[in-house]
Amino acid sequence: MSGKTNKVVVLACSGIGKVYGAIARETTYELMDRVRPGVVVTTCLPLLVIEDSDAKKLITDNPVITIDGCPKSCAHKSVEAQGVKPARTYQAINFYKAHKELKPDGIAELDENGRKLAAIAADELAQVVDELAAGGGK
Amino acid sequence: MITLEVLKVGIVSCSGEAIPEGTLSRIACRKVLDELRPGEAVTICLPLFIAGGSEEREFAAKYPTITVDGCEKRCAQKSTEKLSGKPARSLLIPEILKKHGIDAPTSLRNLRREEKAAAQVVAEEIARTVDEVLNA
Amino acid sequence: MGEFLEVTYDKFVFKVKVGYLYSRDDFWARVDGNVALIGVSDFLQKARGDVAFLEIVEAGTEVKQGQELGKIETIKATFGILSPVSGKVIEVNPELDSSSFLINEDPYGAGWIYKIELGASEGGKDSLLTAESYYELMKEKLAEEMKKK
Repeated sequence: MSGKTNKVVVLACSGIGKVYGAIARETTYELMDRVRPGVVVTTCLPLLVIEDSDAKKLITDNPVITIDGCPKSCAHKSVEAQGVKPARTYQAINFYKAHKELKPDGIAELDENGRKLAAIAADELAQVVDELAAGGGK
Repeated sequence: MITLEVLKVGIVSCSGEAIPEGTLSRIACRKVLDELRPGEAVTICLPLFIAGGSEEREFAAKYPTITVDGCEKRCAQKSTEKLSGKPARSLLIPEILKKHGIDAPTSLRNLRREEKAAAQVVAEEIARTVDEVLNA
Repeated sequence: MGEFLEVTYDKFVFKVKVGYLYSRDDFWARVDGNVALIGVSDFLQKARGDVAFLEIVEAGTEVKQGQELGKIETIKATFGILSPVSGKVIEVNPELDSSSFLINEDPYGAGWIYKIELGASEGGKDSLLTAESYYELMKEKLAEEMKKK
């Protein structure tokens, strides 16, 4: 991909077994809704596997950030399986490691700590989103 | 290797991030696991299932699965069929909502009261399906 | 006999590495002459969850069998690293500083925590369980967990 772009795709693993999957998902929503609306977009991760053409085009045409809930790194692997290298890769557990005071809980629905953690993580990712949207740092 | 045999069902939720029904599916599936049928169902993490999680795939190959999808693209159903075998049941959130006369959700997160009520209805439908599969 | 003794519960496969020794606290020791590597059993790492923080002691630390050699903190719990042998810590796994997830991903291999020079009476290793005996203990613990659910 070359040239300026103003969309950045953020893909969360959304794993349903651990709280970090919920953190990854909530961080994505924070980026989309509050931190960089109109710039950050997402798609459903499983769509990549069923070869959905719209989903594949989205990640091929735009820089991709993946946020995974565990070292299995499903979001990262799913993107790579489509022949696309994520521009940036994050592990949600590292958001918690950097903010130990916000121990999150909840898988289907995050508790207050979890929501705060996701909000802070999204704020911290804003600069990366800006760089990628400007066409740099891929 | 031995297996501690307990009858269980694997639930594969689409958990799609991009549509409200994906969030509804995720919440409803967790309700089944945590509140409605604890000990009778196991969650199969769809991303891990797809990315090569051997434990997820082996469980799904050995035990009956119920897939719960948020839209007609049916990612959970198709992935399960492709990677482990035909699910025992395949549920679709829009069909469940229509059956109960419930409007489609509009929130990706921070569900409104009526959307939480919808999640409960969906969870109960999934729980009934768990019962059918276990009693089959 | 294969590399592991295994038991499956739900979708989880709990493994016990053959040839290692185990404490009843779910820590393992791989003894090689007068030195042992120690770490967390697969059962314990699965039960406690993903490692988020590690509190590690320095090389040179003396330890008695069963004594705490630091702590592991996961989202679910904080628990002590209880040494299965007595002796002196001669090395800390340097990879854990940046990759604590190794304890979860490869608890019997790359996720080792300390290398210990065994103390008197070979560090007390004769009081540890063989893999086969620990396997039976692990199944009892799992059966207890199943009863709770």
